[in-house]
Amino acid sequence: MNSFVQAFKFIGRNGQVPGAPALPSLVHLTLGTIEIAAIGVGVALVIALPLGVWLGHIHRGSFVAINVGNIWRALPSLAVLAIGVAFLGLGLRNVELALIVLAVPPVITNAYVAIDGVDRDVVDAARGMGLSGWQILRRVELPLGVPLIFAGIRTAALFVVSTTTIAALTGYSGSLGDIINNEASYHLSGVLGAAMCIAALALLQDLLLAFVQRLLTPQGVKLEVGTRELDAIGPPLAETV
Amino acid sequence: MNKLRAVLMGAALSVALAACGSSGGNTTSNTSSSSSSAKPGAGKPPIVMGDKNFTEEYVLGSLYQQALEAKGYKVTLKGNIGSSEIVYKAMTSGQIQMYPEYTGVIVSVLAGNTKPPHSATQTYSEAKAFLSQHGFTLLKPTPFYDTDAMGVLKSFASKHHLTTISQLKQFGHSLKLGAAPEFATRYEGLVGLKKVYGINPTFKPLAIGLTYKALDTGQVQVSDVFTTDPQLTTGKYTTLSDPKNVFGFQNVAPIVKASLLKSEGPAFAQTLNKVSSLLTLDAIRRMNAAVALDQQPPTSVAHKFLAANGLA
Amino acid sequence: MIVFAAGHGPVIPNFGGSSSAYACERANRLFCSGWVSQNWSSVLWPALRQHLVLTVIAVGIGFAISTSLALVAHRRGWVERPVVIITSIMYTIPSLALFELLVGVPGLGLSRTTAEVALVSYTLLIMFRNTLTGLREVPVEVRDAAAGMGMGPMRTLLRVDLPLALPAIIAGVRIATVTVISLATVAALIDNEGLGAPILQAISNEVFKTELIVAGGMAIALALLADGVLVLVQRALTPWARAAR
Repeated sequence: MNSFVQAFKFIGRNGQVPGAPALPSLVHLTLGTIEIAAIGVGVALVIALPLGVWLGHIHRGSFVAINVGNIWRALPSLAVLAIGVAFLGLGLRNVELALIVLAVPPVITNAYVAIDGVDRDVVDAARGMGLSGWQILRRVELPLGVPLIFAGIRTAALFVVSTTTIAALTGYSGSLGDIINNEASYHLSGVLGAAMCIAALALLQDLLLAFVQRLLTPQGVKLEVGTRELDAIGPPLAETV
Repeated sequence: MNKLRAVLMGAALSVALAACGSSGGNTTSNTSSSSSSAKPGAGKPPIVMGDKNFTEEYVLGSLYQQALEAKGYKVTLKGNIGSSEIVYKAMTSGQIQMYPEYTGVIVSVLAGNTKPPHSATQTYSEAKAFLSQHGFTLLKPTPFYDTDAMGVLKSFASKHHLTTISQLKQFGHSLKLGAAPEFATRYEGLVGLKKVYGINPTFKPLAIGLTYKALDTGQVQVSDVFTTDPQLTTGKYTTLSDPKNVFGFQNVAPIVKASLLKSEGPAFAQTLNKVSSLLTLDAIRRMNAAVALDQQPPTSVAHKFLAANGLA
Repeated sequence: MIVFAAGHGPVIPNFGGSSSAYACERANRLFCSGWVSQNWSSVLWPALRQHLVLTVIAVGIGFAISTSLALVAHRRGWVERPVVIITSIMYTIPSLALFELLVGVPGLGLSRTTAEVALVSYTLLIMFRNTLTGLREVPVEVRDAAAGMGMGPMRTLLRVDLPLALPAIIAGVRIATVTVISLATVAALIDNEGLGAPILQAISNEVFKTELIVAGGMAIALALLADGVLVLVQRALTPWARAAR
C-alpha cells in the first residue's frame, strides 16, 4: 500500500524524484505518449478504415479483411520493433511502424464486419428509394456500423497506448516508457506512478472515443446496441470465423 | 474423435516434456569438463549468481560461473538483470548471492558517497568497507579497469577541436547526450558532469548497446561509452578526457554474500580471485570484441579463455 | 594488500580464428547465416522452447481460471461485473510496468513465476468474456429441449452448453495465446528467457541485425503457427459449425 501512496506523491511532484536532479516532467512525458499514440492510431485509421469500409461495402474480400486482421494481430510488438530496428534504425519511424501494425487489425476487421453485416433488406430498401452506392454508404451503412467500427478503434487505441512504453526498450525516448524502463532512477514508486498515468490515459481516451461514438450514432441504433458490448475497456469479442 | 484426442494428448505430452527439459534463462552451463581434477565444490550448497545488462558483464558472469563449475560448484546464472541499482536490490533481497561489480559504482551508486575517491586503491577500500557493513564481501579486483567515458565521432571532435569534457560547454543545452537511463540520476553521470564541468546537455536515455548506433545516426553527439569497448579500437570514435575524474576508478570485483564464503569453503574465493587476476585490459578487450563484434555467445568466449588458462 | 597488477600474464586464446571468419557479423549485415547455424542449438532453439513453455503454462492456467469464473458468472450474473472490472484493470497496466512491479512482490522476484503471473493476468479478460458470451448465446430452446429430454443441469452444461459455446471459447483461447506469445517477449526483461532474451541481447550487442531478425521472426512465426493450429483444433472439434455455413 505504501508504494501506492508513494506513487501518488510521485505524480504530485510532476515526475520528480527527491534527491535526484531535475527530470523531465510527467506532463511532458504524458504529452509525448499521447503524441506517439495519436500518430500511430491516426495513420492506422487512414490505412485501415477506408479499406475495411470499402471491402465491407462491396461485400468482397472477407478473407483479406478478417484474416489479415487476425494475422497482423498475432505479430508480437517487441518482435516487430526488433525487426524494425534492423531495417529502419532507431527512432520514431520504427516505433510508429510497430504501433500501426498493432492498431490496423482491430480497425480493419471491425470496419469490414460492421459494414458487411448491415441488414441487406435495409440496403435494398435504400437502393429502391434511388440512393446511389455512395449515398447508401454514407447515409445507411456507416451510421448503422458506427458501434462496431468504434469498438475496433477503441481497442486499437487501447493497445497502442499501453504499448508505447515498449518503445523505450529500443531507443525511443520522450514517453512515459522512459520512467517505466528506468526503475534505477525512478524507483518502484515512479514506475507505479507512470503505469497509473498510462492506465488513466487508456481510460480517458476510451471515454473520449465513447463520447464521439455517441455523437455519431443515430438515435435508432443506440437503442438496440448496449447489450452487444459488454463493457467499455477491453478487446472486442473475437470473430468466431 | 478418438484420433483427435490422441493427437491432442500427444501434443500435451510433448509440451510437458519440453517443460521438464528446459531450464529457463537461468542457465546452468554444462561446459565444466575434465581438465581440472580437484572438485572442492562438489557437495557444497548451490549458488545463484547475477550479472548486469551489458556485454562485459555477460562475459564476466560466464567466466566466474564456469570457473566455479569446473571446481564442482553448482552455479545458476541469472543473466542480464539490469543496472547496478536493480542488481544490488536483488542481492539485498536474497534473490542472488553474488555478482561482478565495478568498484567506483559501488562507492558512488550503491554507497551514495558524493565525495569521489582519488585513486583506484582508495576506491576499492571504500567499496569493501561499505559492503562489509551490509553483510557482503568484495573479493580481489581485476587488473583491468573500465570507466565510463564521453565518446564522440572522431569527425565531430576534430571539427570542434574537442579533447576534454569541459569543452562541451560551448554547445549548451542543444548538445544531445545519450546514455543508459540511470545516467540521469547518477553522480557518475549527468549529476557529476553538471556539477564538475558545468555542462548541461539534453539527455537521451538509450539501451546501453545503442550508444554507438546513436552516434552513427546523429541522434546524439555524445555517448556514454566504456573504455573497454571494442568499438573504440575501430578508429571511428574518440573519447574526451575526464581530468577531474567524474567517472572515477572502476576495477571489477565479485560482490559475494559474506555468509556464503564460509559455507562454500576456501576454494570458492580462490577460484574467483584466480579468474580476476587473469583479467588484464587486453584480455577483457579481446573477449568483449569476440562478443560485441563477432557476435559469439559470451558462454563460449568465456569457455575458450578459461580453457586456455587451465581453469575450465 | 590489494593487487591490481596481474600475477603473470594470462594466455589470450584466438577467439575464433581469422577476422574473415566473422566478417559478416562485424559488418552487421542483415543476415549472417553462419551465425544462425552456429547459435541455433545453443541460443535460438532453447529460446523458442522456453517461449513455448511460458505460453502453454500461462494459457493453461489462464484458461482454468477464466473458465471457472465464466461458469460461475453464467450461474450467478452479478459475478460478471466485478470480474470484468478487475480483469480490465489488469489488462490496461502496461506489461513492462507490471513485470517490474511484480518483481518487487515478496516470493516472486526475478523468476519464471513472476513472468507467468503477469502473463496469466493478461489472458483472463479475453477468455472470460469469450467463454461467458459463448455460454449465454446458447439458445434457450436448446436448453429447454435438453431439460425436456431429462438432462440434469450438470449434463446440460457438459453435453449442450459447452459444446455449443466451443467456437467462442476457442476464439478466446486463440487471442489469449497470441497475446501471451507477444507479451512473453517482454517478460525476458525480468526472466531472461524466451525469444525476448536474444532480442534484448541483440539490442545491447550493437543492434545485431541477424539476431533481431531471426529471433523476432521466430516469435512471429510461433504466433502465426499457434493461431493456425488453434483454428484447426476449432474446426476439428466443431464439425457442425462448418456444415452450417
